[in-house]
Amino acid sequence: MAFAIEFFLRRISQGVVIVILVAFVIFTLLRIVPGDPIRIILGPMASAAALEEKATELGLRDPIYVQFGRFMGQVTTGDFGRSFIRGAQGGSAGGSQDAAGYNPESRASVSGLIANALPYSLQLAALGIAFAFLVAIPIGLGAGLRAGKWPDRLGLYVSSLFVSLPNIWVGVVLIFLLSAKTGWLPAIGYQGFAYTIIPAMVLAIELSPVMIRAISVSVAANLGEVYFDVGLVRGLSRRTMVAKHVLRNAAVPLLNLFGAQMIGMLLGGLFVVEYIFSYPGIGMLTINAVFQRDFPIIQAVAILASAALVAINMLVDFASTTIDRRLKF
Amino acid sequence: MSKSLATHMSPASNSHAAMAPVMEVRGLSVVVNTAAGERNILTDIDLTVAPRSVLGIIGESGSGKTVLSRAMVNWLKPPLAITKGSVRYDGRDLLTLPAATMAGLRGREIAYIGANPTSALDPTVPVGHQILEKLRAVAPELTPQAARQRVIDTLDAVRIPSPKQRFDEYPFQFSGGMMQRAMIVDALVSNPKLLIADNITQPLDVTVAAQILRLLRDLQKDFDTSIVFVSSSLGIVSEIADDMIVLDRGHIVERQSVRGLLATPEHAYTKELIAKVPMIWASAETPPVPSSGDIVLDVRDVGKTYRVRDRKAIFAERQVRAVRGVSFTVRRGENFGIIGESGCGKSTLSRLLSCLEQPDAGQIQFEGRDIATLKGRDLLGLRRRFQLLLQDPYNAIAAHASIGRTIAEPLLIHGLGSRREIEHKVKDVMAEVGLAPALYNQLPIGLSAGQRQRVNIARALVLEPELLILDETLSSLDQVEQAKLLDLFETLQVKRGITYVYISHDLAMVRRVCARIAVMYLGRIVELADNDTMYWRSAHPYTRALLSAVPTVEAKPYRTATYLLEGEPPDPIDIPPGCSFRTRCPFAFDRCATDDPSQTIYADGNASACHLPLNSLPAPELAH
Repeated sequence: MAFAIEFFLRRISQGVVIVILVAFVIFTLLRIVPGDPIRIILGPMASAAALEEKATELGLRDPIYVQFGRFMGQVTTGDFGRSFIRGAQGGSAGGSQDAAGYNPESRASVSGLIANALPYSLQLAALGIAFAFLVAIPIGLGAGLRAGKWPDRLGLYVSSLFVSLPNIWVGVVLIFLLSAKTGWLPAIGYQGFAYTIIPAMVLAIELSPVMIRAISVSVAANLGEVYFDVGLVRGLSRRTMVAKHVLRNAAVPLLNLFGAQMIGMLLGGLFVVEYIFSYPGIGMLTINAVFQRDFPIIQAVAILASAALVAINMLVDFASTTIDRRLKF
Repeated sequence: MSKSLATHMSPASNSHAAMAPVMEVRGLSVVVNTAAGERNILTDIDLTVAPRSVLGIIGESGSGKTVLSRAMVNWLKPPLAITKGSVRYDGRDLLTLPAATMAGLRGREIAYIGANPTSALDPTVPVGHQILEKLRAVAPELTPQAARQRVIDTLDAVRIPSPKQRFDEYPFQFSGGMMQRAMIVDALVSNPKLLIADNITQPLDVTVAAQILRLLRDLQKDFDTSIVFVSSSLGIVSEIADDMIVLDRGHIVERQSVRGLLATPEHAYTKELIAKVPMIWASAETPPVPSSGDIVLDVRDVGKTYRVRDRKAIFAERQVRAVRGVSFTVRRGENFGIIGESGCGKSTLSRLLSCLEQPDAGQIQFEGRDIATLKGRDLLGLRRRFQLLLQDPYNAIAAHASIGRTIAEPLLIHGLGSRREIEHKVKDVMAEVGLAPALYNQLPIGLSAGQRQRVNIARALVLEPELLILDETLSSLDQVEQAKLLDLFETLQVKRGITYVYISHDLAMVRRVCARIAVMYLGRIVELADNDTMYWRSAHPYTRALLSAVPTVEAKPYRTATYLLEGEPPDPIDIPPGCSFRTRCPFAFDRCATDDPSQTIYADGNASACHLPLNSLPAPELAH
């Protein structure tokens, strides 16, 4: 218990520092790249004097650290600012009004936009991971338990095949086969749960090869450990040894893989897959924001992504040290 | 061991089978299938395990003893294959039993314990839970509570302290000796008829190995189990076995009772084996005498404490006191020995001596200069003059560099000489340590452990050091190779006047080469004496316990029964108050619990840290 409290106190405080640093870097980068946000807000028709007046009024001419301090102050209250472009009623409004007509209140709040998009993305991610597990666990376990036999080769072939398929191409092919050709599943946009299935399959194909390899390598390595062999001589059955000991020990490297690699791949995958399928999640929101230079959305998503990575890694490390008490964090 | 426990765990009495052998091996032959064809591992093995007896099997590495002990539980894996013979147990031939029936016997009626206790259990599950899992698998009729109780009782029977807490601790929290006890519990908890112990004392310290042997002897009586005890140490097997079998390259060359074998060995190989056991007391060699040269190394009250995170409290650390107030001096041209068991701090001390780490307290002076204050160029200059040699000859050499390049490395680092001079120096030193000049351009692949250790020695010698610290340098080598390297060290000493600090747990080797010896226990030197005094008239009970536990085949001045230690050394995190040895000392009295003894220096310059006056320990049973 004492260990858990200390662990979380330590890791949360470290995590907060990391997220603030990431936020600062992103905030700064977005402000030193070419392109003045005020031009985006007011559009190409506004006069130079009006731009300058509005920019000063919005605080865009303050030093970066002042702007950052103001921004972080808002973030702690859950306010990520307002979109430059999107109107409160949805739809893009950028570049269509002059300085006098611009009212920040008329733009959608970033936290509201994210809160709307997040459930869709979580649903897609969860289903994608579930599909990946469904494919990777049986194939990976088989390959690990029968190293050198046909299940091992199957694991190798399946993961080699999946890893070499570009997800954009897979998305298009699946849309063609499962939606356009047969009409079994809907593909574009979102009107119900069925719309999640094809995008989730694309995600799963991207995630599963790494999982298959990791599971089979980790299980096979544990079968080679002394404790496995000794367990059989001690009078335990192979099934007991695999179910109670090998899987437990093999889980530790898998958890670390999950924390370190899979979450990153998943985030990257979401952006591409949501864009292909016009799926209304965080990825779609972000990609549109990038095209429109809607900086408040980009920085909010980046900060949330880094916070999610830090949090998931913390949980993964805690789970690892609970399974294997020799690990120290 | 409580009698009641043994009786309730015994199966129904089988008096009719009392005299029938437990296991009979007849004509057993095993081959290994290699690319080059079959090679014999065991040929025509016949042996009989009598009920309630201990059968010792002795053989050197490569004699096939592990294969034999595994064949006795029908547990051989390809490329090993049994070509003929039978292993009869309880009226059946184990070799022809269906796999499922055999699996039903293994771990139930026939138990097997191996030489590698620390990796024998799943590292992520508490030890007690794994033993319970096994017991539940072999005896599903027991209720969970009864099974748990039996495991705890058996842990208690092998004298694991506070078995209730230990039940929930993990394998990495057990020392090697504790883990081997746990494996004995695991084997005996199902009350087997036959226990096959394959080299089980090999990784253990001598005092712990002696405890395990006595424990196994007691348990064998209480549990009514027959034991097959396999070992490569004649001294150890002769402590426990009734009858002995000598195995030489897959053949049984001799079988006799222990007493008969030691007194009147018949086969030449047996005689050779007996002759190979190093003699500590009966040896004709005179031990080296202390040097009278100037002081090279002066260690004054050195201490080192490591901090580890405490899992049971928030933001707390615990202090591991690895080395505590160690003082000694080494004179030029002397062989100084530091002995002690695992965890006594001797390796930490070697790291401090070789300037890899800084001590927290005290100072180490090399030729009058405090090495802790040296930095940069001065430290590099100092490093030239003393070198550290470690135990593992494999990982200490880069696999991708030629041997000549490896040995030249220190010269290049120190910038000593042109290419030609360096090559010349390297070849000279290679000749000196006995490496063929042809090896200069070769990679170290295929070198034996002894040859690799020579490369390490050459690499150290090429800098012409004045002090060599040998931290278990010879421990991984066999007797013959060890003797050759010791001769080499001696020659070098005569030629170059090198001073050696031997750090070792090998009491026979230290007896042979060291003039003065320090005995460490729990981070502290408990006795410091010249060679003869240490071995014949030791002043500290711990030194005597160490010496009494050495597996030998000669008469000892210290009887094992008088000095046998109980338990394990305390954790260096929780060092008990008073004398740190008192928790295991057979002679501890009231004062030891409160008063930490300081070193008493005797008239002859020897010292020991014990409250007992010199003459109050039992007189040695063997006069010099």
